[in-house]
Order: sequence, then C-alpha cells, then structure tokens
Amino acid sequence: MDTFLSFIESSDLSMWIRGESMLAFPTIITVHTICMGLLAGTSSAIDLRILGVAPAIPMDSLRRFYPMMWLALAINAVTGVLMVIGYPTKQLTNPLFYIKLSLVGLGVWLVYRIGMEVLGGSGQKAETARAKWLAWGSLATWVGLIIAGRLLEYTHKWELLGVRALT
Amino acid sequence: MDEIAPWEQFVRGTALHHFVYTYEPWVWPTCEIIHYLGLSLLLGTVGLFDLRVLGMVRAIPPRTIHRLVPFGVAGFCLNVVTGIMFFSGHPDQYFYNDSGRLKALFMAIAGINILAFYGTGAFAEMKTLPSGADAPMRLKLIAGISLAMWIGVLICGRFLTWFRPPFFH
Repeated sequence: MDTFLSFIESSDLSMWIRGESMLAFPTIITVHTICMGLLAGTSSAIDLRILGVAPAIPMDSLRRFYPMMWLALAINAVTGVLMVIGYPTKQLTNPLFYIKLSLVGLGVWLVYRIGMEVLGGSGQKAETARAKWLAWGSLATWVGLIIAGRLLEYTHKWELLGVRALT
Repeated sequence: MDEIAPWEQFVRGTALHHFVYTYEPWVWPTCEIIHYLGLSLLLGTVGLFDLRVLGMVRAIPPRTIHRLVPFGVAGFCLNVVTGIMFFSGHPDQYFYNDSGRLKALFMAIAGINILAFYGTGAFAEMKTLPSGADAPMRLKLIAGISLAMWIGVLICGRFLTWFRPPFFH
C-alpha cells in the first residue's frame, strides 16, 4: 500500500493539486461542494415530494431534474478522484472514507431506483410503502453522506505518507 | 491589525463565545455538519425554484415548486444559527477575512433581491405562471441574481479557509 501511496503522492498531478497551484485545491473542493448541494438537495426535494410535501408538483416532471443530478454526480466523481490523488494517504487510510464511498453507492442506487420505480406515471406509485421507504432511505443516506464527508477532515490520521495529521 | 477592536472585545465577552471556544472540538464539527445540511436544503429548493424561473423543467408550474422554498428557509435559518456560532467563536477570522466580507456582501444582495421579489408584484406574477410558461425577463433577473448570490455565498464560504487573516487574536 505504501509504495502505491508514495507513487501517487510523488506524481506531478498530485503535487500540483496540493499546492503548486494555490488555487487548484480550493477550486476543486468548492466545485465538489456546489455539486454536492445540488445533488443532495435536489434528491432530498424529490424525496420530500414522495413523502407528501408540495403534492401539486407533478411526479413525472421531477424526472427532468435527473440529467442535472447525474451531471453533478459525475463532476463530484471527478473532483473526488482529484482530491484523493492530491491526498491519497489522508483518505485511503481513513476507514470513514470507505464508509463515505459506500454511502455514495447507496445514495446513487436509491436515486436510480426512485427514478425507475416511483417517478413515472401520475404519482400513484408514490403512495406505496416501498416508495416511502426509498424516500426516507435516500434522505437518511444524504444526511449520513454529508456527515461522513465533513468528518473526514477531523478523523484522518495522516496528511501525507509519513506526515501525521495536524488536527 | 493586532489590537482588538471594541466590538470584537464585546463578542469575546459573550457566553456564546465562551461556549463555542471551550467546547470547540465537538461544537465546531457539529456546527459544520449542520451548516452543510442547511446549505444543501437551501440550494436544493430555492436553487431549483430559481432554475425553474430561468426556464428549466417547464412542465412544473413555478408556484408548485415554490412550495419547497420553506424548507430552504429552514435550511437558511440553520445556517444563520451555526454561522453566528462560528462567528462568536472566532470573530476576527471572519471579519478581517476578504472571503468573509464578500460572503456577507453576497448575502446582503440576496436579501435585497428577496425583498424585490416578495415586496413587489413579482411574487404575485410568478404565481400566475402555468405549467410550460416562460417567465418574464423581470422574474428571470430576480431568479438569476438569487442563484448567483447563493452559489457565490457557498464559494466564499468554502474559500474562507484560504483567506484567513495572518493574525489570530
């Protein structure tokens, strides 16, 4: 594992992200935050609609927000990978990071299933218990994901290979 | 800028400051988490409403997507509370911070924009728009400013870390 981490950390891309360009990491993480807000926020709004909030919103029209959500997810995948390339030891030695990745997988799967099962048609499918479970599950996953993501900053043991965490 | 201004001395004398300062190891991460949840609620509701007025997903009438805005307001309230806690804990790190000042300016512009929306005929006009309608330019201007300001607030908030003043009172 150490040779792999050292290989990444000594790469040009990693060093550039970390600070050769002063603006790289702040920009990458800010784009990550914006897309997180759009993805988690839109998905949460859809979940709230399934749970009965703002019932006048036509269910099938919410599917039109999906391209934006998938784009936000794609941008977050890219920015996320870039951040791990910048600080691989920090994330890959932190168990919470793997929990976060699992929650991303779960969240994406729930968004996909909600799109497939609940958002088609006139909305009667939203009345089922399964739809409510999916919606609550999705809300809980986003909350958990945001908590996990934020706590990464406080739970990591290493900044870089051989460099202990400052917090 | 090493002397502490009277207003800052006042903030540092408050009970809230002492609470945040003393229990910072758990108060700070907790407040940050709530702050991020609040911003997601805000962007995912008010942001969606702005996008609709600007022309996205026209099948939804603006007035129905506006029903989600109270959740955005709730998110904003969470962020005001946690923001006050952050500020109370380290007022100098925000007040003398270029990114912090820009963030406050963007919030002020967003606030004036909100007054322009709800305080004039714009809100009533929005409510008349049916499904499929293209909003008039005036409404699009308000929505565009809103979206730009809240994303600007997010950017400035995230950039606070890199614009901290060099001193630490």
